[in-house]
Amino acid sequence: MANLSIPSIRERLFNTSKHEKTTQRNSNNTNPFAASSFKGNVLTADVFESSNKNNNQINFTGKLKASALVGSISGIGERFRNMIESAKAFGNRIKDNVVNGWNKLNNIEISFAPAKEKAVSMFNTVKETLGTSVTDLISSGISVKSVAKMDDMTAARQLATDKIALWEASV
Amino acid sequence: MADKKIIKDVTNVIEGLGLNPNPETISILEDVGTNSKVDAIREMTARALVKKNIPDSLKVVIDNKGKGINDMSTVVAMSTINELLSLQDKSEAMKILENTVENNSDEEVRDNARSVKALMALS
Repeated sequence: MANLSIPSIRERLFNTSKHEKTTQRNSNNTNPFAASSFKGNVLTADVFESSNKNNNQINFTGKLKASALVGSISGIGERFRNMIESAKAFGNRIKDNVVNGWNKLNNIEISFAPAKEKAVSMFNTVKETLGTSVTDLISSGISVKSVAKMDDMTAARQLATDKIALWEASV
Repeated sequence: MADKKIIKDVTNVIEGLGLNPNPETISILEDVGTNSKVDAIREMTARALVKKNIPDSLKVVIDNKGKGINDMSTVVAMSTINELLSLQDKSEAMKILENTVENNSDEEVRDNARSVKALMALS
């Protein structure tokens, strides 16, 4: 493993007499770079990065690898964005379908009263669900609004007792 | 420390009961909330009762030893006083405070009511 400390690199680069030796050049030298590289001198020490590194480890100093890593992170963000976009598109499609259904329902005359009632209540339920925020739908917790509108006081008392008991038990 | 979801549920239940116009919600809040061993629950309940701003709910937090402005926890008592001071219409609260100063059997409760009444008159 080469010593890569700054003083050692500087010493090797600028104190050439110590680390380089003059080689004899002859006319039948076949190395095309010999004339240009180090003026015919050969480096005796490896002043560059060692090539014997473990290739399995991620080296964050390499610009190429770092950019690849950043690219992959950006890719993840893009995938999430695509997921969200598709979820939004799905929600909008459902909403559009319901709105279309609602419009059709208003245009079509249903003569059978119970069927009409049922259909209207069904669409109202769907509309109400769509009006609820996604967070509320996922968490399915208790909302202030639902408690504020409760008529059954026995159920309200039970709910308050249970929830407060849960908190007290966790203290 | 209680789970965040439990805290959120309790907060929503207490706030919801505070907004519910049914008079029975006052007794629910008094029985379940103001007697809780958790300071935060008693605090939330007292504030919900003050926000109702009706004689029955205000009586609970003003005229009762160990509840609302008379709570053993300074945080709960101060929070209740703060909520009383924030009321837009203080007339009902002032009536209850006056009544407590004149008629309550407990001296400490009377003193507390007198102090809060003075604060409310100044605010």
